[in-house]
Amino acid sequence: MAFVNLQNVTYKYPLTKTPVLQNINLQVNEGEFVAVMGPNGAGKSTLCYALAGFVPHFFKGEISGSIEVDGKKSSESTLDEWVLNVGLAFQNPFNQISGAKYTVFEEIAFGLENIGVPREEMKDRVDEAMSLTGISDLADRSPYSLSGGQQQRVALTSILVMRPRLLVLDEPTSQMDPIGTREVFGVVRKMAEEGMTVVMVEHKVEWIAHFADRVIALKEGRVFLEGKPNDVLTSDLLVENGFGISRYTSAAREAKKQGLWKKDKLPVTLFEAAEGFKP
Amino acid sequence: MLEKIKNNFNTQTWVLIPIAIAINIAVGQIVVLLKLPVYLDSIGTVLVAVLCGPWAGALAGALTNIIWGLAIDPNALPWWPVAFFIGYMAGRMAEWGFFKSWWKVVVTGFVVALTAAIVSTPIAVYIYGGITASGSSFITAYLLETGRGIWQAVFSTNFLVEPVDKITTAMISFAIILGLPKRTIGGYPKPEQVEVEGGADKNQMYIAIGVVVLLVLFAAFLLRNVLGG
Amino acid sequence: MRERLSFHIKRDSALHRLNPLTKLLLVLALILSAFLTPFYWTPHILAILVIPILSVIGRVGREYLSTAFRLILPAATFLFLMQAFFHPIGKEIIFAFYFLDMTLESLMFAFGNAMRIVVMVSAFTIFLLTTHPSELMSDLSRRGLPGQFAYVIISTLQILPQVQAKAQTIISAQRSRGLETEGGFFKRAGALIPLIGPLVFGSLVEVEERAIAIEARGFTSKHVKTSLHEIPDTPTDIFLRWFLTTLIAASIGLKLWLS
Repeated sequence: MAFVNLQNVTYKYPLTKTPVLQNINLQVNEGEFVAVMGPNGAGKSTLCYALAGFVPHFFKGEISGSIEVDGKKSSESTLDEWVLNVGLAFQNPFNQISGAKYTVFEEIAFGLENIGVPREEMKDRVDEAMSLTGISDLADRSPYSLSGGQQQRVALTSILVMRPRLLVLDEPTSQMDPIGTREVFGVVRKMAEEGMTVVMVEHKVEWIAHFADRVIALKEGRVFLEGKPNDVLTSDLLVENGFGISRYTSAAREAKKQGLWKKDKLPVTLFEAAEGFKP
Repeated sequence: MLEKIKNNFNTQTWVLIPIAIAINIAVGQIVVLLKLPVYLDSIGTVLVAVLCGPWAGALAGALTNIIWGLAIDPNALPWWPVAFFIGYMAGRMAEWGFFKSWWKVVVTGFVVALTAAIVSTPIAVYIYGGITASGSSFITAYLLETGRGIWQAVFSTNFLVEPVDKITTAMISFAIILGLPKRTIGGYPKPEQVEVEGGADKNQMYIAIGVVVLLVLFAAFLLRNVLGG
Repeated sequence: MRERLSFHIKRDSALHRLNPLTKLLLVLALILSAFLTPFYWTPHILAILVIPILSVIGRVGREYLSTAFRLILPAATFLFLMQAFFHPIGKEIIFAFYFLDMTLESLMFAFGNAMRIVVMVSAFTIFLLTTHPSELMSDLSRRGLPGQFAYVIISTLQILPQVQAKAQTIISAQRSRGLETEGGFFKRAGALIPLIGPLVFGSLVEVEERAIAIEARGFTSKHVKTSLHEIPDTPTDIFLRWFLTTLIAASIGLKLWLS
């Protein structure tokens, strides 16, 4: 039995006509790192909200099918219980700052205070989470004084510290530089290896290829492609359907037409491309 | 009772209140900058009241004056009960269906103004002895000079000043709600209270103007009685 | 406009070390005795003697003085002048200027009233100078105030400067596009909507996401909340609170007995 199990999930926001999610079937194993990609309006964020319980508990609207995490059905739970198991961090870092705290350290402890973690344990967990994501030096700064990328790290840390079994991330690196992005992917990979299940919406295909176990491509609310990162990310179908692909893949595809790329598989990352072009 | 208070508050209410307080204060300051003869410092309070309920509105109002008084202008502090009742009354009027079209919103503004005038009178009399730090106290002073009693003078002044301000406030709040995406409104505790009826066409505007004229006549009549002709 | 809406000065003093609730009771006792006292000079003594001494004990004397001159005195002076000239008590006019006239009684009345306002605001100022807002809210939450109140107060204090900054940006942006904020009444009234529209809508669309973010972090959890900071509450605090409560009860009692 998969850790995350979505069966025929179809969902419509209130006052709208077309469903944003259509007949989604999705299984994720415990400790697996799944990346989700797709063009605008594909339903990526809605899928995140559905996994994290906000669809339908927060947004209302019409839902059919079933969402199960760790054997528990979302429809039979309440949002405040659901978030204990499933953590969500999303794109806009500014709106994720609680506003109720004056320092980064307090900000990260906010969730633990809410769920009643004892003081000493709380401090240890915050320290540990901050050193994991590399923001220990920001502890005494005001969350509002940070850059967008730093705020995104704080948002991620604030969720990691709650130790969810399933971590749902919706473009958590959109405001980060390449170094920051790499570090965050590294952290997420590490969490997955320690047994946390991760579903992450991302556009940065090279990093997906490097770190994720599996890729799901969404289009118009349906699962369009699914499989190993390299298989999905080099598929001809992606380009034809308006997905963003890696520049190394495009380059190698051109090269293949002219007989310069000899391998079967197309590359996604710089490293794979360099390997393939070796004489 | 407790249940009725509780149903005003969901997470969106708690998030909206700080933003509403900030809107109250920031708009209040913009109005001072533009030197307009109104306060417009309760738009946020009215928004909370109609979207979430009277108790949420009352809380937003009271906190506005407390925070304003402690952090910016000390003279705002003693008036927190007025702001409390502005929020409460606006919420009650919305519950009774008076926030669904322009003319009803005008009536809401008038009732809120009357409430504010009544509640601020004892505060002005007991804490300030009738003469407050506001510009409208010149009217009170004039009425006192011409031999009116203190209660009469203070209430008449409030009653002259409040309706223009509160009707404008209610109408701006309604315009804001008309401009918000429906999906955004759906997440608050009482979205059904602001379901617009009768459309936003010209006729609605004419009815609203008619109601304003009637209210002005009514106000003049009341004032004449209060001042004894 | 100030960047931050917190007066708090981080220092170590007897006042800083007191429990926030004790200090809140002290503020209440000062205000009530200023307003309820039967003796004319009580508010004056409080304002001129007691409050400055408190500010020195709290090691915030300089900060208190600067707030007093910048914020409290202008407000109190204005009120004093308004009341001294306009309050219609007393017969004997001691000072007249066109239609303005001042009697000894109205002067005394205005002076007493201004001092009461000074006491009220000063007491709060010293409280805010020596108490961090999150310390106050943690302590009140620990004593049973719902956690949502702490959230509302602190986030208002943090959001307000941002909204004011946003307002400034919108004002200068609209001015540079030719919006007139000076001139005749109708011009100024017409400027209102382009100024407050973007401000209000911009802030309201954030509400949904902010609500999601805090719910994801257990904001509506039914667990008993804990607090990161431990707020000191010593036997001195408990003794002081008893003393202040007695003082408050006495001033209310005296007022009732005399009236």
